[in-house]
Amino acid sequence: MKSNKKEVLLEIHDLQIQGYSDEQWVDIIKGVDLTLHRGEVMGLIGESGAGKSTIGAAAMGYARDGTRISGGSIEFDGMELSTATEAEKRSLRGARIAYVAQSAAASFNPAHKIIDQHTEAPLHYRLQKRTEAQEDAMVLYEKLRLPNPDEIGFRYPHQVSGGQLQRAMTAMAMSCRPDLIIFDEPTTALDVTTQIEVLAAIRDIVDEYNTAAIYITHDLAVVAQMADTIKVLLKGNEVEEAPTEQMLKSPKEDYTKSLWAVRSFKREQKARPKDSVPLISVKNIDASYTGGEKVLDDVSFDVYEGMTVAVVGESGSGKSTTARCITGLLPPSKGEIQFKGEALPPDYRNRSKDQLRQAQMIYQMADTALNPKVKIHEIIGRPAQFYQGLHGGDLKSRVDELLDLIELEPAQYYNRYPPELSGGQKQRIGIARALAANPTFIICDEVTSALDQLVAEGILKLLDRLQRELNLAYMFITHDLATVRAIADEVVVMQYGKVVEQGPKEDMFTPPHHPYTDLLLSSVPEMDPNWLTTLLEERGVDNVGDAASTKIDPNDEKVQS
Amino acid sequence: MSFTVFVFGYYTVLLVASCIAAYFNKRAVFMLLFSLTLVSFILGIVGGVGALQTVAALAGLLALAGMISYGFREFLVYLAEGDVGAPLRGNNTLFLSVVGLFTVLAFASSAYGWGLTEIFVFLAVAMIILLPLSPDTAKELRTAPMTAAFGLFVIFTYLVMGVFASYIAPHGEAEVISSAFAPRGEDMLLGADQLGRDMFSRIIYGARNSVGLALVATVAAFILGASAGLLAATKGGWLDQLLGRIADVIMSIPSLIFALLMLSIFGPDISVIIVAVAIIYAPRVFRLTRSVAGNVVVMDYIEAAKLRGEGNWYLIRREILPNSTAPLIAEFGLEFCFVFLLVAGLSFLGLGIQPPTADWGSMVRENATLISFGDITPLIPAAAIALLTVSVNFVVDWMLHRSSGLKE
Repeated sequence: MKSNKKEVLLEIHDLQIQGYSDEQWVDIIKGVDLTLHRGEVMGLIGESGAGKSTIGAAAMGYARDGTRISGGSIEFDGMELSTATEAEKRSLRGARIAYVAQSAAASFNPAHKIIDQHTEAPLHYRLQKRTEAQEDAMVLYEKLRLPNPDEIGFRYPHQVSGGQLQRAMTAMAMSCRPDLIIFDEPTTALDVTTQIEVLAAIRDIVDEYNTAAIYITHDLAVVAQMADTIKVLLKGNEVEEAPTEQMLKSPKEDYTKSLWAVRSFKREQKARPKDSVPLISVKNIDASYTGGEKVLDDVSFDVYEGMTVAVVGESGSGKSTTARCITGLLPPSKGEIQFKGEALPPDYRNRSKDQLRQAQMIYQMADTALNPKVKIHEIIGRPAQFYQGLHGGDLKSRVDELLDLIELEPAQYYNRYPPELSGGQKQRIGIARALAANPTFIICDEVTSALDQLVAEGILKLLDRLQRELNLAYMFITHDLATVRAIADEVVVMQYGKVVEQGPKEDMFTPPHHPYTDLLLSSVPEMDPNWLTTLLEERGVDNVGDAASTKIDPNDEKVQS
Repeated sequence: MSFTVFVFGYYTVLLVASCIAAYFNKRAVFMLLFSLTLVSFILGIVGGVGALQTVAALAGLLALAGMISYGFREFLVYLAEGDVGAPLRGNNTLFLSVVGLFTVLAFASSAYGWGLTEIFVFLAVAMIILLPLSPDTAKELRTAPMTAAFGLFVIFTYLVMGVFASYIAPHGEAEVISSAFAPRGEDMLLGADQLGRDMFSRIIYGARNSVGLALVATVAAFILGASAGLLAATKGGWLDQLLGRIADVIMSIPSLIFALLMLSIFGPDISVIIVAVAIIYAPRVFRLTRSVAGNVVVMDYIEAAKLRGEGNWYLIRREILPNSTAPLIAEFGLEFCFVFLLVAGLSFLGLGIQPPTADWGSMVRENATLISFGDITPLIPAAAIALLTVSVNFVVDWMLHRSSGLKE
């Protein structure tokens, strides 16, 4: 780690920020101190609503719409930002403080070429001429290991991949060689394999130019790679701050310990029941969206009663499409789906009520999965009413039973609407709706990826308990291998619409692996702060992420099998 | 002498009120009163007592409207807090049978001449109005802006005026009681029209005829357009294409020309007007409903309902419609105003509601000649139309604001 700490660059003292809601000002940040030296990287972690991004924005002297800085001081290189005029603050932004947002795709203007957006700041501040700025951009692109650095800037944002765009955005933030960069969850929206490239690139460039950075994330393993010091936040308060190594080895506060412990949830692996027919059997299916290319190519796997099959792969690998084929939303062009040995009609419209009842689905985004204008008791009660014909008192007691099952107090939630609930509670309602149908098989589509780690762990434990009590089978779609390790019995790895490897979890996590599985596994960040360094040394900087997955040798013996 | 008293009294009241407001830290009230004082100062110097009296009268009128709105809002809040609609809301069959009973009685009364038709119609309408008054509504009414309360009050007044027209109006709708264009006097509040009928009575009857017709036509347009739009969004495919192209064809014909065509083919009958207007305005509702519902049908909860095996009717009624009501209500307010103006326009051209039935649109035309003599009589029915459209939009704005706030 770096040791060239010199003078203090940013000093935040007793920062208080308020937000406007329900016609009054509410404290969001309740007095946080922060000291950042030149060239130092500080990680800010905490669950959503902890105020990480708000502090990040405040470091630029900026308060988002509907919030205001109500107290404390923000001193950047001797300049007080909380009292500075808008013009003074503007002259800093872009030139001396830069910002990298979570979604690069949403932050680039799709109507302009990447390099034109890159050179905007240096031209505005008259630091460089256009040609100089463009040459400098290419130098930065090369340093960030973007392919074809001389050419890539002349593309439009939609013509490059997500990971490349995120690196281009980091390059843009670097264009004026700022003293401080704020990274707001730069890799959260990326796949693990792509994440690694971006992390390595960001770390190297920040190191090279001795730039100070605030790195905001909720992923501990990521922050462990990037930061010199870590600050843990909870509901606008600081929990603790310590150098990375010390923080990982011996966290002091209970809250920090609980964050560390989240990843410890693990369940015993079950074996397939002998001599039984698989509950759901996917047999050699191909599928494509109207007029498009094949998105699924000869996909087969089985799900047995009471077991969890995790389907993993990067985005675009066909995981969700497989789920759509099983539910019948997308009839496969070849092959069939069997339920207890009998073929299901490919289109859900032709399936009987009972066939529909057996397979239920839990969605990734609980916000869009629950109708905001329907009360909880009706959302949960409708499947029971629809399939079992329950009415009146019977229906009410069934809904109460279901709410009990998902550990929510029935009297309190019976008459509420989804927007009044938190993310984790909504996801529980989504689970209850699936259970209300008395299914034997549930598809969980990235159910925990939109949730904070503590909440996600609660959901995983709940799903596990329900599986034991109700003997459910899960198909668990995820890109998070930590979740797979926690809950799966069997694993199916998918890439480019094909199943590259499948088997019991223990086998999958012990070598030898299929090269793609190996790549996936090795790309998952670990809590060891030297993990990224070691990995890059082992694999070489040009052999991670997309670059590595295209290099997989088709003649490898594991690929052949 | 009396002018001096007025001027002194006027300034005294304003200044005392300003000071009281300032003392109690009512910033907004103080600013309003004191700026009124300053404006009155300047106008009084420039325009004399006459200008001052006009300002005082306008301010008084505004204050009166404000007080009425405030009072009406509090009245509704109390009713809602008392949960007067509860017995009806709990029981659908009871509600429908009560409203149905009153409707049947109203028809019977008009058929057999009991003279109780208005009472029964009012009771049926009152039942429907009481229905949404619950403690939940009370919470929202309490935060309603004054403009919305004013709009509600005006709509309520028009409603009472329309239903009880025959009791309120001093003379009959088509009764000739004096010479043509007789000036206003004791007997005739607003003077007489071109045939010597009482203007005031005709305005009252016009509320029933014009507003009733516009309301029925708008509701018809909405039923037609919204159901087609929801169906198109839910089913998609060729049905969507077909309905969309039909809507395009109707929209390509200029609306007034289309109405004139229909009316000259089938004759200027009320039912023809309703059908023509419904057909003209249905495509706009169709387009809006389809696009709003189109955003809803892609949500995961719709997918979940489809996978459960729900039919189209359930999807539309329980899943899509509750999520598209806000823009539809706003559109209803707007369309109502457009329909009202179209109907008035048709009457003005002589093809709408036929004489001697009173109708605001045709009343403007019939008395138009009076304008050249500097008389405001033809502007009164026009003002009645304007007041209603503005009021409806006040209410709609509030509802739209409320529902968009809920989404946050």
